[in-house]
Amino acid sequence: MKLLEYEAKQIFSKYGIPVPKGALIRAPEEVAAHLPELGGAVVLKAQVDVGGRGKAGGVLFAEGATAVVTARDLFAREIKGVPVREILVEERLAIEHEYYVSIAIDRSSRQPVVLFADAGGVEIENAAQADESAVRRVVVSPLLREIPPFLMRELLGGAPKELAPVINSLYRAFQQKDAMLAEINPLVTTPRGVYAADAKLIIDDNALARQGIAVNRDLSEREREAEKHGFSYVELDGTIGVIGNGAGLTMSTLDLIEYYRGRAANFLDVGGGADQERVMHAVRLVASMPGVAVIVVNLLGGITRCDEVAKGIIAADVLPTVIVRMAGTNEEEGRRLLGKHGYRMLESMDAAVRAAMGVAS
Amino acid sequence: MIYGDKTLGVIVQNITGRQGRFHTELMNAYAREVGGRGVVAGVAPGKGGQEVHGVPVYNTVKEALREHDATASVVFVPAAHALDSIMEAAHAGIGLCVVITEHIPVHDAMLAVAYAKLHDCTVIGPNCPGLLSPGECKLGIMPAHLAARGEVGVVSRSGTLTYEVVDELTRAGIGQSTVVGIGGDPVIGQTFVDVLARFEDDPRTKAVVVIGEVGGNLEEEGVRSTSLPVVTYIAGVSAPPEKRMGHAGAIIEGGEGDARSKVRRLAALGIAVASRPSEIPGLIREVL
Repeated sequence: MKLLEYEAKQIFSKYGIPVPKGALIRAPEEVAAHLPELGGAVVLKAQVDVGGRGKAGGVLFAEGATAVVTARDLFAREIKGVPVREILVEERLAIEHEYYVSIAIDRSSRQPVVLFADAGGVEIENAAQADESAVRRVVVSPLLREIPPFLMRELLGGAPKELAPVINSLYRAFQQKDAMLAEINPLVTTPRGVYAADAKLIIDDNALARQGIAVNRDLSEREREAEKHGFSYVELDGTIGVIGNGAGLTMSTLDLIEYYRGRAANFLDVGGGADQERVMHAVRLVASMPGVAVIVVNLLGGITRCDEVAKGIIAADVLPTVIVRMAGTNEEEGRRLLGKHGYRMLESMDAAVRAAMGVAS
Repeated sequence: MIYGDKTLGVIVQNITGRQGRFHTELMNAYAREVGGRGVVAGVAPGKGGQEVHGVPVYNTVKEALREHDATASVVFVPAAHALDSIMEAAHAGIGLCVVITEHIPVHDAMLAVAYAKLHDCTVIGPNCPGLLSPGECKLGIMPAHLAARGEVGVVSRSGTLTYEVVDELTRAGIGQSTVVGIGGDPVIGQTFVDVLARFEDDPRTKAVVVIGEVGGNLEEEGVRSTSLPVVTYIAGVSAPPEKRMGHAGAIIEGGEGDARSKVRRLAALGIAVASRPSEIPGLIREVL
């Protein structure tokens, strides 16, 4: 789950990373109360989860009393289609230099990877693409609690040594907060010291519970409903509903629909060991989406009991046509049950998707 | 076959859980069918002395290994305790740890893999269906009846999609040497590169099917590393950017991991890329 900038800064601050003085406001008038502590010159930053926020007009500068007008302007905007509900008002820093630091997970070496660039800021991605050497990277053993000095020297190159403790604090936050990504861009030097001018933190969805996060905000309401049943669920905008078991097989079913030039309405992975109850909920959930003309159920596996699945489909009793492809235990009984109630059970996923195309068009 | 044969002795961690119990029975049914050793002991803290389908249960891995000759373990331990169980197995001298458990936090997976490596323990998974060498051994939850003994290796990040491909191959009369599900998480013990290196050294394996997914670039890394003929299939070409399709690994990252560009890069290497699973047997025949 992605945290917003102000949430990430609160966490970074607890780990000893200096962040600019700031306050969160939810209405333009609130800005006035914070001006004395923040000084005359402030930055207003929309708290929206979009990339390229600054370029999209989500960051504005203001001086003194005009800050209220600027805040009103920002609250009225949509940043890449996302309405602005919260603004982080911060003191304006006297920036000497902008660096880039980021910690992510390197799939290839299966270790944290720390990235550092001497030229941080909004152009970092372009700079990195133009010149690979612009970004230095070191991998750190997950068994270590901090970045060892020799790796830190390699990472920083000629950059000031005072950045090292901040980067180590970021590393600890990355480890202890179960982060998939912890990033400071820009990490700035000022006459008063080093600051995290921006902050990005993505928490591993599999660790939300132990991080005390009850609700995954990245999910829509229907997606959260699906999560309660143990489904992985994503809404798309086509007409063919899809239910499968296993992420790969379900994705592959979606791809096959596209291959035959159809459009999938959703992705729903029922997970392992689908029983009658779960299948029924899955079918009803997909059938409840507007615009679904037909549902393809594609289940495969040694443990999936076809008679259970068939009973679930029959119990769901939905309006859109349900086309079934399944293989597993009690396949014959499943076929008999479905046939008795007028459902079609097909031999292969190709055949099932082609049949669905026929209904959808 | 790779990783193990009929002589492989296996323990199951959390053998008394629903999944552990169920799959111990299936693994041993398969072992009997092929004349292998199968699951020789189980571990469940506090449940030592019990039996599960005739398999004795111990409180610790160490105790199980004192009484039984086993070098591999299959982990059905819930996500919150999986890291501890993997470390316990590695510490006790288990050489191959197959982790079926899903939803393990990625930082735990990194620690597990790093710790296991210190103890020369190979980790497969997490969040994987395990491995099956038809006619030799089965570690995990793959439906063995779909497979047939043969010369094609299969390595995949998916579970059920792997069964689909194995089923297609078997129906087309193409047997498999070993089928390995490496897991769909961002951090996994054995990557495509590792498994392909094993296939490279396996005299029985003549070609490999690589089944990938959206996310990361490890399929490409793997394919580049082998001299064996390879056919690939990548699931998720229709996945919209930034949408998570079930697996943590199936998130598209910065363009690099999206399935379409992955397919393009593989095709540019001269690799056969199937556009749907049913094309795989035909493409394998061409490269064999």
